[in-house]
Amino acid sequence: MVRLTKVELRRLMARRLTAVGLAGLFLITILLLVATWFDARPLSAVEQQQAQQQYEMAHKDWGEHAQEMRTQCEADWKTQPDPKPKLEEMCVYSEPKPEDFGKPPTVFAQIMPELLQGSSYFLAFAAFLIGASFLGAEFSSGAIGNWLTFEPRRLRVYGSKLLAAATGFVPIAAVVLAVILFGTFLIVDKLGDTASTTGKVWGDLSAIGGRAVLTTALAAALGSVVGLLLRHTAAAIGVVMAYLVLAEGVFAAFLEKAQPWLVKLNFDAFVRHGAQYSVTECKTGSDGSYICDYVQKTLSFEHGAWYLAIFTVVVVLLGGWVFHRRDVN
Amino acid sequence: MSDVAISTRGLRKTYRTRRGRKVVAVQGLDLEVPAGGVHGFLGPNGSGKTTSIRMLLGLVRADAGTMTVFGRPVPAQLPDVVGRIGAIVESPKFFPAFTGEKNLELLAEAIGAPRARVGEVLEQTSLGERGRDRFRSYSLGMKQRLAIAATLLKEPDLLIFDEPTNGLDPAGIREIRETMRGLGEQGKTVLVSSHILAEVEQVADTVSIIGHGRLLASGTVAEVIGGGTAPTVKVAVGDHEAATRILVAAGLTVRADGKYLLVEGAPDPADVTRRLAHQELYVSELAPVRADLESVFLELTEGEGL
Ligand SMILES: Nc1ncnc2c1ncn2[C@@H]1O[C@H](COP(=O)(O)OP(=O)(O)O)[C@@H](O)[C@H]1O
Ligand SMILES: [Mg+2]
Repeated sequence: MVRLTKVELRRLMARRLTAVGLAGLFLITILLLVATWFDARPLSAVEQQQAQQQYEMAHKDWGEHAQEMRTQCEADWKTQPDPKPKLEEMCVYSEPKPEDFGKPPTVFAQIMPELLQGSSYFLAFAAFLIGASFLGAEFSSGAIGNWLTFEPRRLRVYGSKLLAAATGFVPIAAVVLAVILFGTFLIVDKLGDTASTTGKVWGDLSAIGGRAVLTTALAAALGSVVGLLLRHTAAAIGVVMAYLVLAEGVFAAFLEKAQPWLVKLNFDAFVRHGAQYSVTECKTGSDGSYICDYVQKTLSFEHGAWYLAIFTVVVVLLGGWVFHRRDVN
Repeated sequence: MSDVAISTRGLRKTYRTRRGRKVVAVQGLDLEVPAGGVHGFLGPNGSGKTTSIRMLLGLVRADAGTMTVFGRPVPAQLPDVVGRIGAIVESPKFFPAFTGEKNLELLAEAIGAPRARVGEVLEQTSLGERGRDRFRSYSLGMKQRLAIAATLLKEPDLLIFDEPTNGLDPAGIREIRETMRGLGEQGKTVLVSSHILAEVEQVADTVSIIGHGRLLASGTVAEVIGGGTAPTVKVAVGDHEAATRILVAAGLTVRADGKYLLVEGAPDPADVTRRLAHQELYVSELAPVRADLESVFLELTEGEGL
């Protein structure tokens, strides 16, 4: 099994699509860092001056009119029908602060989790695609039949292929994420704010990164299974695209309550250690009015982890069962 | 060591097509391939040769029946004997984007054969430098040679070739034939399937003929084709009527076939010329009619009501 896995790894790395995929990942990584650099660039002297002027104007305006507006607002409030909004919420005219004008500095600890999450998407996508073609091509070319005359133990063959796809992507994902993490740190350190990067922040970031490595490996294995089941790379990609658009997109929009059972949200919940989603909750008030509200909900990390684990186990077992019984031509 | 290389009993396979129709590919096949030498596995297209071979190799699941290879039940103990079997089923299939060499390297590594073996088998099959080209760019003959090279990685005792000459030019066919003969002479067992008798009769020591997934005949080539009886000869002679009368009177069976007469039952063709010459009927042409597989096959299946 170890030997077979090594052979499969060698095959994975010798494939052209793997090379193309790696080049693509490299390119996306570079683009991401360039975009971060553009975002983090401080304003030019002229822009800073403009921001300063705007602040001064706003502050002057506030000094002259705030009191007057407050009085006016309080008067308006009295005439509001019940239930009244809170006075403190309705009539706030706070003093403008200089940092509200111009561009706030980029804070490493704030942008990094989002960046890692975004990276986990394209890593998972690339891994799935390469995994699907890794096995899909083997079936569509018929090479699998020849392979099985050298190693007829199907479950070993199956296991070695999935293992190779998954382990092959561990170093790839780790390198990509590390480059993005440290690249962003260097950029933000130069242009923005990294002072708030405590040990805990680093710990959280590496945990997110670690989980993104894991999801990439899972995506590679799942892609392999789908490639095996459909025996064709293109078919595998098509099925997944259709699923993402229909189930995760359209269906989720109509049936918000189903969100906790869709892959994407669980993926986020796992990678980010909890994920927010919103559902519309409507109720009829005592006075007969019908009010709808967006309610923020949280999907827990545990939910995401269990979901992904069970999903993976089921798909891998299904693939193994099918391959074990399948007639190979 | 067992003196039977392959044996099957009551082997059966029904495919289901996409539309749910059932196709009986093999129905109760009893096959026996002696160890050593070349064994022809003959039958018309669609008679179940490839399916039987796939079942032996564990690629396709049998519905019923038992199989052994070198005395081991397969597919249960296939892992124990697979190292002794080299097989090419239908057309050679490898990873098209990899070179021939790379394909062989992966296979060698998978079975734990030394890397040096790859160069050796490439030399043996005279692929040599072309081993560095992509499999996709190979001609059919080269693909076939690469497939043979792959089987040689294992140094097998049993080689299974499924219609190996399909699509090859005469030179390629001869090359394959010589390879098979050579392997047979080395004491290896070669099972070669074909739907053309002429293709294997020159190299096969023994043959099995199947039709509709059943064994129809087996034995040496002469036994099977001759069926033990005297050969048929094709005779060109002036007066058909007179000649027929004479030969029938001599106890031979005569049929007209265009401008020829087909004469059966003469142990020696000279017999035919002598009898006719005796009555001053001179034979201008005489040739033995070789039973081809199709006619043997038709003959064999006639009585079966198939
Ligand atoms: N994968 C398959 N699905 C359905 N029918 C098949 C399949 N493979 C072979 N058959 C059918 O089984 C029969 C035997 O085929 P095969 O074993 O390929 O014969 P041969 O090799 O002697 O030409 C044929 O009727 C063929 O159409
Ligand atoms: Mg065939």
